[in-house]
Amino acid sequence: MRLTLGIWMTAVVVLAILLPMVPQPQHWYEFPVVGGLGEKARIIFFHVPTAWLSFLAFVASMVYGIKYLRKRNPDDDLKSSTAAGLGFLFCFLATVTGSIWAKFSWGSFWNWDPRETSIFVLLLIYGAYFALRSAVEVEEKRASLSAVYSIIAAVTMPFFMFVMPRVLASLHPDPIINTQGKVYMNATMLVVFLSSLAGFTGLYYWIFTIQVRIRRMESLSIHHEGELKRA
Amino acid sequence: MLDFLGQQPLYVVLLVVLIIWLGLYFYLFRLDSRVKKLEGRKP
Repeated sequence: MRLTLGIWMTAVVVLAILLPMVPQPQHWYEFPVVGGLGEKARIIFFHVPTAWLSFLAFVASMVYGIKYLRKRNPDDDLKSSTAAGLGFLFCFLATVTGSIWAKFSWGSFWNWDPRETSIFVLLLIYGAYFALRSAVEVEEKRASLSAVYSIIAAVTMPFFMFVMPRVLASLHPDPIINTQGKVYMNATMLVVFLSSLAGFTGLYYWIFTIQVRIRRMESLSIHHEGELKRA
Repeated sequence: MLDFLGQQPLYVVLLVVLIIWLGLYFYLFRLDSRVKKLEGRKP
């Protein structure tokens, strides 16, 4: 799986960067020129998957939070906070990459556009999640509070990610994926885009499982040390 | 540098790919340090 993922992502990066972008594609290997964006439209293959992963990770954090509240299994709390951490990483990467794109499309790194404002608020919300976790020392209380917080945070997320940028006037390039959900890409561009989404999702799952395994070992090791001290 | 990137939009995309890669690299680097710390603990 790891090797396949490596090859898959390499192919995605190579195709996304190297396939030519022409006004009227005649061959299968050509991308169409996306109105007003030019070569910069290729950012869609990398920036959108990071935003998608932050959404996926925050939803996963909520699902594990609900599971924890139902069964009180510490492993669910561990998975919930791991997913939130990864969501924060990808949300941060989406913010930075979007900001770089904004500099060369809008002329400034930060414009307080509805998209930028909403992702900034999301970063603050999940930043507060980690502040909450580090402020509570009792393990069970920390797990319960963070599970509840992760549910509330995830409920607000669709508003910031999907509603607010569409209700308010935004400069964000909707010609690519617009409010009607229509995708103006040719088949090749769509295949590369969906392959990138799939590859990034695989990458997320891989990092998630590695981190969960590490945190399980850390938790076992801490309990073991505690028992040795008591003995 | 900014002027060059403004004239060569493909390099803006490459910069974006580089930043995503660096973000993932530092995250994995942190995971690796945690594994090393675990390995250093006495059984």
